[in-house]
Amino acid sequence: MNKFLAVFKREYIQLVRTKMFIIMTVLFPVLMAGLMLLPGLMMTQGLGEKRIVVLDATGRLHDAYTQNEKPPADGSRRGAGRNLPTKMNVEYVDRAGDKDLETSAKPYIARLSDRDKSRLVDGVLLVPADAVTNTDARLKYYSRSAADFIAEERLSSLTNRSVHRMRLEGRGLNADEVDKLMNDIRIDAVQLSKTGQQKKGGVANFLVGFVLTALLVMPSFIYGMQIMRGIIQEKTDRVVEVLVSSVTPSQLLVGKILGVAAVGLTQISVWLIMGGVLSGGALATTAALAGENVTQFLRLSTFVYFAIFFILAYLTYVCVYAIGGAICNSDREAQQLIAPISMIMLLPWFLLAGLITNPDSSLAVGFSLAPVFGPMTMFIRTLVADPPMSQIATTILVSIATIAVFFWITAKIFRVGILSYGKRPTIPELWRWIKVA
Amino acid sequence: MAEILAVRDVVKVFGSVRAVDGVSFAVRKGTITGLLGRNGAGKTTTIRMITGIFMPDSGGIEWRGDTAKGAHFRDHIGYLPEERGLYKQMKVIDHLLFLAEIKGRRAAVVRPQIDSWLERFELGAKRDAKIEELSKGNQQKVQLIGTLLHDPDLIILDEPQSGLDPVNMVLVRNLLLELKKEGRTILLSTHMMNEAERMADDIVLIDKGQVVLQGGLEDVRQSFGGNTLQIDFEGDGAFLAELPEVRKGNVITNTAELTLADGADPQRVLQAAMGRVRVRRFEVGTPSLEKIFIDRVGTETLAAEEAGR
Repeated sequence: MNKFLAVFKREYIQLVRTKMFIIMTVLFPVLMAGLMLLPGLMMTQGLGEKRIVVLDATGRLHDAYTQNEKPPADGSRRGAGRNLPTKMNVEYVDRAGDKDLETSAKPYIARLSDRDKSRLVDGVLLVPADAVTNTDARLKYYSRSAADFIAEERLSSLTNRSVHRMRLEGRGLNADEVDKLMNDIRIDAVQLSKTGQQKKGGVANFLVGFVLTALLVMPSFIYGMQIMRGIIQEKTDRVVEVLVSSVTPSQLLVGKILGVAAVGLTQISVWLIMGGVLSGGALATTAALAGENVTQFLRLSTFVYFAIFFILAYLTYVCVYAIGGAICNSDREAQQLIAPISMIMLLPWFLLAGLITNPDSSLAVGFSLAPVFGPMTMFIRTLVADPPMSQIATTILVSIATIAVFFWITAKIFRVGILSYGKRPTIPELWRWIKVA
Repeated sequence: MAEILAVRDVVKVFGSVRAVDGVSFAVRKGTITGLLGRNGAGKTTTIRMITGIFMPDSGGIEWRGDTAKGAHFRDHIGYLPEERGLYKQMKVIDHLLFLAEIKGRRAAVVRPQIDSWLERFELGAKRDAKIEELSKGNQQKVQLIGTLLHDPDLIILDEPQSGLDPVNMVLVRNLLLELKKEGRTILLSTHMMNEAERMADDIVLIDKGQVVLQGGLEDVRQSFGGNTLQIDFEGDGAFLAELPEVRKGNVITNTAELTLADGADPQRVLQAAMGRVRVRRFEVGTPSLEKIFIDRVGTETLAAEEAGR
């Protein structure tokens, strides 16, 4: 037991001292927070201010562009344009009755590439004279950026709202009635669980599921890789013979795996603390924008499931890496061997979108009960759905059995493999190792 | 003297190769036993079975007369493998503590011992240096300290002097002799016959996985060379070849090379010679271990090995 502790302690202390650990610990949450904050920021701030010239040949749309920055009085959100608020500074040019708008626009279009910053514009919108009366009329938008779809969509939406309004008023409706007619209805996504609780779902579900699942599996792969490199390092540095003459391969293996696991847990604890400040804020920002409440995910059960499935996933994946380390002689060789295997193990990750949106599909259920894929898939399901307790228990039992078998095989291969410096064994040779050891 | 370790007819087969094929020998307490043989003879595999890294396919290891299975005595062994290596990123002090801990020692107990060992090897200043910052020789010294730190009853050294410069070679040799003086038992595997000759009490010569020769160093030498005499003299020495103690003689003017009969005493020959001629040089031939080695294992293999080194 003491020996196992010695190995455990060494792995832990040496790893925690590495630069990689410190960088990962600090950078990962920042990166995650950034990834989540950025879309939010872009949504609220856009990418700076846009200066747009509108040449209006109808001469009636002045209000549409100049009053749009005011929030609607009732706080309801209308039109897609308002969900993508690029800050726009509109220069309205009344060209009422202009038949040759293209020609009149020439000097403005020239300003798209004006050297004088104060005259430079980002886009020029042409509204033809028959915009309200002719249903086939087309707007024309000149812009410097080819992919300025946000501004384009916004302008289109603003113009169309006013045009629709005018068309309706043209049919004799008064302004109040038009307002009522044009009021959008919002959609509220509500998920009903088996226990009858109501949970709000929607975009935030997907987002949080994505982030938490990444948090669940990323460390396993990063630290699995770490274990693999460590074992290969021990082989190339020839430390391993001293080790196995003092401790049993199982003590060595378990000490290593748990030592590295402790490092992973340390890191996640740091992340959670940092995350409480950083990414929590980011999540709230993004989710608040989407009009959802994140706190619904911060339930005790989420943490419990996270802890359970994190440990199960970690122990499953890490064995594969330990075997990789034991049978390979260089990092490169090991990575070539492990890359395809990791891809297979990560299958649920690639199916994440499908699993989150259809957590009770037969595919999701099948994956969640299967060995190797179970922990990750079942965690996703507990997050966005309410899988029956019997299935959760099955996943846990299957995973424990998988881990036991993996450990047994790994210890055997480890015993023979760590002392073999020759070429990588073939599958039949591996089988012989398992039988011999 | 009591046997501390006995290897009983151990066999280890790798695929179609019988790496160790029925090796038996014993290590007496307080002695240095030289495990000799060329590379690939089976020395390292034998040692790995003693240290519990490999399980023998058959046969067993006895520790102080106890045949219990498993390497229950591994904490009483200090093992310096041929393939030496340390964690390059670790500090010297941390590494030594780790090596002691995996032998079941407590850090607090060994810490003062580490300092005295480091002083003894003139490494006191390197206590907090990282392993990778040390010279190769110093790394080997650190590893040797790691082998001795937990106060082992049996010290097993696999080619401890390979890769050392002459100065460090002497350092290691003197250390081993000192350790022996302190009453420790050492199993020394080497292919350097002259080093074994200087240190070993007993030798075990292995070739192709089998013991070809073993016993006390002096006994072995006697059995090989105690029966040849070289005498330089003045006078008529023809009679020397006719003495009853001499089986075969070759006398040329002032020099005689004699092979003695079994059990004959060289001193009797000397007395007889002194009575009739003036003896200027009298030498009982004790062949070097190297000579015995070649005699037993074969010249061609040794030459091939020399070339390969």
